[in-house]
Amino acid sequence: MNRMIVAVLSLVGLFVALYLFAHNLGLTGPITCGVGDCATVQASQWAKIGPIPVSSIGVLGYIALFVLSFMGIQPGRRDSAMIGGLLLAGSAGGAAFSGWLTYLEAFVINAWCQYCVISAILITLIFLASLPEIGRLRAS
Amino acid sequence: MKKFYYVLAGVAVVGIGAVGYNVGSNALGPAVSAPIELEGLDSPEALAEMAQGITRGDEDAPVTIVEFGDFQCPGCGAFALSVKPQIDLMLVQTGKVKFIFYDFPLTTIHPNAFLAARASRCAQDQDKYWEYHDVLFRNQANWSTESNATGTFLGYGEDLGVNEKDFEACVRSDKYADVVTANMELGMALGVGSTPTLLVQAGDEVRQLNGFDYRSVQEAVELVSTPGGTSPGN
Repeated sequence: MNRMIVAVLSLVGLFVALYLFAHNLGLTGPITCGVGDCATVQASQWAKIGPIPVSSIGVLGYIALFVLSFMGIQPGRRDSAMIGGLLLAGSAGGAAFSGWLTYLEAFVINAWCQYCVISAILITLIFLASLPEIGRLRAS
Repeated sequence: MKKFYYVLAGVAVVGIGAVGYNVGSNALGPAVSAPIELEGLDSPEALAEMAQGITRGDEDAPVTIVEFGDFQCPGCGAFALSVKPQIDLMLVQTGKVKFIFYDFPLTTIHPNAFLAARASRCAQDQDKYWEYHDVLFRNQANWSTESNATGTFLGYGEDLGVNEKDFEACVRSDKYADVVTANMELGMALGVGSTPTLLVQAGDEVRQLNGFDYRSVQEAVELVSTPGGTSPGN
């Protein structure tokens, strides 16, 4: 059940990250931000790590989590400790990375991007939903 | 399990629809935001025909003030908000002066300036040029830092009550890219190197202004209006 939740949340996160990535590529025109100041966040130096847009890391991360969780609910793999370990590690890494980005928004950029906040909430929920994997890892 | 796949499919449809809509609507209407290649502007006549200033005041006023301005330039913003209203009240509305604004977006340092100039001309299509001009300068600090200000510019038009569909179609096109480019070429041909640049003219008398307080403008208007007048400091 927890992997189904991770799969759904990852898919939602993927589209949020895809929208930001499409914006970074100049494909969407102006970013629509009902709450906060997305333009300031997206124009800041922190929107990229070197030449790589942060949103592209989000896209890849959510794809990985979705594929893992989807594989993990297929018959024969439901008790896979390897998938459980990867889900736990991936979601923990994603939540930590997202936490750092949220810190930057709050204390360095001093502006909020609603899509980044939504993504931070999603990855936190994904991490929480992945915690039962600890039990699978112990049982294996 | 079936329910789970329905949920996944629902999320996928909504997600693809939302991202696709944003990408598609932008692809349908790319807003030209940089000067374009123009041919045939070698002759002063062709340049003068293509370049189009926006005039305020009596066409027959004895003195003309020409401004070459950039909507993203802070100096132009200060001039527009503090000096232009005085020029308008004391000189334009009294019939002494007509004021003409030519776009001179400094595109190398002001990435949104060209689009702002085009958007202002789209507003002119609906007789809202000067209102839009004022809104752009009043909100300059807000849109100057945007990576793509198209949506903001559309919002300003909406606030002014323009026909949104027509305005958006104009902004999301290449309309007036030729005029704005020609205005830049005209400025360069006249030796404009910075913004705002003011030329005060009456007959053959022309003064280029370096000071942008109202007093300097008023003095220049009086000088060009007086035959044989001398420039201050010369």
